[in-house]
Amino acid sequence: MTIEAPDLSLAALAPLLFVFGAACIGVLVEAFGPRDSRHPVQVAVALVGTLGGLVTTVLLAGTREVTAGGALAVDGAGLFLQATIAGLGALSLLLFAERNLDPARSAFVVSAAVPAGSVRDRELLTVQRVQTEVYPLATFAIGGMMLFVTANDLLVMFVALEVLSLPLYLISGLARRRRLLSQEAAVKYFLLGSFASAFFLYGVALVYGATGTVRLAGVREAVAGAEGGTLVVLGLALLVVGLLFKASVAPFHTWTPDVYQGAPTPVTAFMAACTKVAAFGAILRLLYVAFGTEEWTWRPLVYGVAIVSMVIGAVLGLTQTDLKRMLAYSSVAHAGFLLTGVLGLPATGDAAGSGLPAVMFYLLAYGLTTLGAFAVLTLVRSGEGEATHLSQWAGLAQRSPLTAAVMSLFLLALAGIPLTSGFTGKFAVFRAAIEDGAWPLALVALLASAVAAFFYLRVIVLMYFSEPAVDGPTVGVPGLPTTIVLAVTAAATLLLGIVPGAVLGLADRAAIFVG
Amino acid sequence: MTALLLLHLIAGVLAPVLVRWWGRQAFLALALVPAASFVWTLLQLRTVLAGDDVRETVPWVPALDLDVALRLDALALTFAALVTGVGALVLVYCARYFSPEDEGTGRFAGSLTAFAGSMLGLVLADDVLLLYVFWELTTVFSFLLIGGSGRRLAARRAASQALVLTTAGGLAMLVGLIVIGQASGSFLLSEILADPGSGPAMVWGAVLVLAGAVTKSALVPFHFWLPAAMEAPTPVSAYLHAAAMVKAGVYLVARLAPAMADVPGWRPLVLGMGVATMLVGGYRALRQKDLKLLLAFGTVSQLGFLVTLVGAGSRELAAAGLVMTLAHALFKSTLFLTVGVVDHATGTRDLSRLSGLGRRLPLLAVTGTLAAASMAGLPPLLGFVGKEAAFTALLDGGLADRTAALAVLVGLVAGSVLTAAYTARFLWGAFARKPGVADTEVGHAPEPLFLAAPVLLSLTGLVLGPASPLLDGLVARYADTLPLLAPEVEHLALWHGWQPALALSALTVAGGAALFAVRGPVGRLQRRMAVGASADEGYWNVLQGVDRLSVAVTGTTQRGSLPAYLGTILVAVLALPGVLLLTRAPWPGQWRAWDTPVQAVVGIVVVTAGVLALRIRQRLSAVLVVGVTGYGIAVVFALQGAPDLALTQFLVETLTLVVFVLVLRKLPKDITERHRPRERAVRGVIAVAVGAFMAAAGAVALAARTGTPVSEGYPGPAYDYGGGKNVVNVTLVDIRAWDTLGEVSLLVVAATGVASLVFLRRRTGGVERAPRTRLAQAERGRRAPRDRWLAATATLDPARRSVVLEVVTRLLFHTIMVFSLYLLFSGHNEPGGGFAGGLVAGLALVLRYLAGGRYELGEAAPVAPGLLLGGGLLFAGGTGVVGLALGAGVLQTAILESTLPVLGDVKLVTSLFFDIGVYLIVVGLVLDVLRSLGAELDRQDDEEDPVELDPGEVVLR
Repeated sequence: MTIEAPDLSLAALAPLLFVFGAACIGVLVEAFGPRDSRHPVQVAVALVGTLGGLVTTVLLAGTREVTAGGALAVDGAGLFLQATIAGLGALSLLLFAERNLDPARSAFVVSAAVPAGSVRDRELLTVQRVQTEVYPLATFAIGGMMLFVTANDLLVMFVALEVLSLPLYLISGLARRRRLLSQEAAVKYFLLGSFASAFFLYGVALVYGATGTVRLAGVREAVAGAEGGTLVVLGLALLVVGLLFKASVAPFHTWTPDVYQGAPTPVTAFMAACTKVAAFGAILRLLYVAFGTEEWTWRPLVYGVAIVSMVIGAVLGLTQTDLKRMLAYSSVAHAGFLLTGVLGLPATGDAAGSGLPAVMFYLLAYGLTTLGAFAVLTLVRSGEGEATHLSQWAGLAQRSPLTAAVMSLFLLALAGIPLTSGFTGKFAVFRAAIEDGAWPLALVALLASAVAAFFYLRVIVLMYFSEPAVDGPTVGVPGLPTTIVLAVTAAATLLLGIVPGAVLGLADRAAIFVG
Repeated sequence: MTALLLLHLIAGVLAPVLVRWWGRQAFLALALVPAASFVWTLLQLRTVLAGDDVRETVPWVPALDLDVALRLDALALTFAALVTGVGALVLVYCARYFSPEDEGTGRFAGSLTAFAGSMLGLVLADDVLLLYVFWELTTVFSFLLIGGSGRRLAARRAASQALVLTTAGGLAMLVGLIVIGQASGSFLLSEILADPGSGPAMVWGAVLVLAGAVTKSALVPFHFWLPAAMEAPTPVSAYLHAAAMVKAGVYLVARLAPAMADVPGWRPLVLGMGVATMLVGGYRALRQKDLKLLLAFGTVSQLGFLVTLVGAGSRELAAAGLVMTLAHALFKSTLFLTVGVVDHATGTRDLSRLSGLGRRLPLLAVTGTLAAASMAGLPPLLGFVGKEAAFTALLDGGLADRTAALAVLVGLVAGSVLTAAYTARFLWGAFARKPGVADTEVGHAPEPLFLAAPVLLSLTGLVLGPASPLLDGLVARYADTLPLLAPEVEHLALWHGWQPALALSALTVAGGAALFAVRGPVGRLQRRMAVGASADEGYWNVLQGVDRLSVAVTGTTQRGSLPAYLGTILVAVLALPGVLLLTRAPWPGQWRAWDTPVQAVVGIVVVTAGVLALRIRQRLSAVLVVGVTGYGIAVVFALQGAPDLALTQFLVETLTLVVFVLVLRKLPKDITERHRPRERAVRGVIAVAVGAFMAAAGAVALAARTGTPVSEGYPGPAYDYGGGKNVVNVTLVDIRAWDTLGEVSLLVVAATGVASLVFLRRRTGGVERAPRTRLAQAERGRRAPRDRWLAATATLDPARRSVVLEVVTRLLFHTIMVFSLYLLFSGHNEPGGGFAGGLVAGLALVLRYLAGGRYELGEAAPVAPGLLLGGGLLFAGGTGVVGLALGAGVLQTAILESTLPVLGDVKLVTSLFFDIGVYLIVVGLVLDVLRSLGAELDRQDDEEDPVELDPGEVVLR
């Protein structure tokens, strides 16, 4: 009995090879590299990996092939999302590498295994040693995400899900300050995430049982042939539960505020931007490629979940007094807006309708904006680390007009005010939903936008129209990495709002799935 | 046109810089921008009067069909002239309104200029989405302008209120515009007007668009934000709240009326709200003491008037509406600017404290009076022309429905009476000398430039009255797009002869004068009739309600409680896939309760243990009953004829218990957390439901099987190729050897992980053997039992020793080890195998540890677990590599048979070596767990946590 070696198109795999290669090298550096030079080397390796991934995806533009024995689909949509993840990942890594803001030079704990609050922990708090394990971990997560959006096979999708999740669970718990909060966040994320993964796996099993295949195209054929029946639908429902959890769509969002708040802010930025892209990439591929012909089964589900997510995110966001939590609820609401666009997918043909490119564009725009917003959060600090309580931001404009202006830009974009990327994205997804006849949904989405806009604007009002507190926070001077991140994200937020044509066109051309 | 908009943008951005350089004089330079636009607009007059549009289209986002499509027609030209002309004058006014030392002037100048640009864009936009963009831009700038420096609470509240209301309305309008665009097949206003859609979509679109117009133009029931916005500086009130922004709603209604007026619902809404607003605003204006607030309510009233006229959808009313809009912008901004001058000169706007100002500021008084006369509808001012035209239109036609026309006419006349009354009140309040009030001191006389804007505006109103026939061409260009209902077109003129409308005008003025004359009793009546609730309070109550609701929801759903979070997710799972399963699943055709009654017994035991686990408060006991459920499952496996599975389950369960117990030593004895009964009940229901769901899903999936299980083909090849009769074992080490290799690798990682978390100070390097000196000391002490059954028990505290256990361990340990080897070697054909064998060996080590303490472990297995783990992995992996080297596939089994002396026939299957690797790994895992969770925790207890004691030491991995 011999097993045929699967066909591997190394070119099509190049982005993944770059990122995973960098992750593996990172592990080796961690094991054998001299401690003194480890930080610059790790940062360089991770950046070379992610940027290499970004460049190769760009070079691959136009590729449409199924490779690795049918396990990977390298197509326009996949490459667009891979490039998005790689780019956002590289920016997140820059945030990780920032050494100017925290007096102890890093946002990450030196030794995660030392019990929080012990003598040793207090000792280590002020030590200027930098922990470098986060770089290979984050790179693995980025690789997992890039694999996730091109997975053409439910099992590969599951593996990718785990590859991206496990490092995330870990790095959520690595905050240097407020360690218990961070560890609690990591445990919650891990436990709930395990449940979600289990549901996903159960779904894979049911779908396999019903259709006899885990290949997305195979599932599509089997489903179109009316095989499977209820088991397929049940499996699909469980798969979607697992994916919606990762995308923090209500009612599977419960972990989001706690984890966003507890995790180190650079990690939160990374999760908010990249995980969202990856999860939605997988949702799109699953629903469109595997279950595109079974639209009637998932449409009502996505419809309902989108409404719940938008309403919960917008209404609960109103009461938040912590900026990180507020942005977490904003992420829940945005997940709902994204689902609105997902409904704009057509059920037939290879060419996608306006929903797919709209969601892809939205993901890029939202990722950049939210990354920038979290980057601003790292700048505003008090004695105990970042000052994320809303009241601490009062009158920030007088302390640092530039910071307040940049933050306002991001918040306006999140609110979807015209001339920012947020408006273009929202417009695109809503239009897709409307064209598909999802009227009431677009209406709810607009109302939710209005409510959500209220809490974003409240922060702007607070920054500009309040007296600064006497013992308020200081605004740190960012080093080169954070400066780059802020410059790129702010510029992109503006450009995608004023002249989004080129990127929209790109998304439009790329919006093709092969299966 | 794009260039003009860009010019505004650039001016807005540069404004703060200019203000820093030139101080308040910068406003004069900024005024040039709208002035230039004004001139350009007037230059287009000829083209527009000829019936042509000026169009300009710049592609913006082609992918979304977003173009910058601008169009200047008669309506746009009228509004554009208003916006730019008044804008320029207000900016000039600002140059004297602000004192040089005012803070934040730069930002104000920028916002005001940018606002002027947005407003211009709004009236020029031909694309509905572009219109929306500019609409929201005006909202944002108005927010900045109302909020000002943000120092005052009232200003902040007013700014956010205006923002929330107009943004919400704007969003509704966006939906409406998209609906209309979809129904009409185009997003260009010009095309929608040319060919509007029909059907219910248009009705919805009309309602939603009106929502936007109503909020923006402060109509009832959203009128309250406008008076509150009077917190803004006076130029802002004059510009935004008289001439420009609030006119956006009027513009939108006027713009869409030709297409939408006949859509069901449009007329009742527009006319109803318009007339109601006119009456409410006028009534409230009579009560105000603050001159600005008086004007604000007056504006509300007039906006109602305007919307009624332009929304009615007939040629004659639209013409009247357009003239009235022009007149209103002129007189109302004049009046606001006048109040600004008064405020500046005297420091108050309270009409009960102002007295005799008319004599001191005669020019201002004349200006204000002219404007007020226009507002009251006195000839020969433009206000009179507009009002007269409106009355005539309603008398002669105006609305197809005569009853409605009369009702509206009555409403408008009543509103006009109120208007005349509050106009009189304004003039009296601002300029008259009042008995009993000392003449107001005028701090400093206003500079000529300060007065220039109001004077110019009021003069325009005066000139345009007699000159109104000149406007006729422009007004007719727009009005002709609507159907004419009256017998003939009435041209604009000051004097139409003796007409009923003239009588109505006289009536309004007389009524207003009368109302003003009896202001004392009227005021008392109003106070008595004042209603407790106002729309403003309603707004804040709604906001508070939303706030409170979200606090409550957050409080109940986001408490940081993991069970609550998990519960939410599980409920969602039950709600979605669960309901699906319940309603649509193909249930198995037949159910069998049990294969043997023993299964039922086991089931009862397992369920009982499960329930007990919830009730028991002691951690240890809880763990034990949880263990019972595991053993119960193992019995089920055995009953089902799966001895291998049962054996493994038993062993794993036992080992898990041991690990649990080791860890529990570090935890409090009892579970102290108590839950309320209701909480427990809810959780119980969810848990049982999820369990039932999982079981049901399993049952359905099993029942749905149509194919043959893959395992049915296993036994034959397992013997032929794998050389073993135990299919389970052959599956592990041969058929699915790759999987096993992956899993054991995982075990190695897990063991290493656990160990490195507990061994903080050093990695599992050396083996902790019993120190010889301590053994010797113990010997000398003679307090220990004489006979040493185990190697290191002497180091234990005598109180912790148990001779029985030591003896039993001594007797059993080697036997168990031999048994484990037996399992390892026999596994290929009998139940057993490397995994089970390794677990048994691990249990033997557990026994040694329990009996002899932490040093005993080192004595029993004087080898580092890392070595075992690594060696095992090497062994397992090596088997594959060797197979490859010998020319076979990776992990392929070879069978060697030979006859050896003594042993006889020996059949050696190479996968045994793979199994040995597994064995070693499992032993290493158990050893690692025992060393870390057992021995190391003992040591930390004995030595009082040295992790805390020597912080200088570096953490080594």
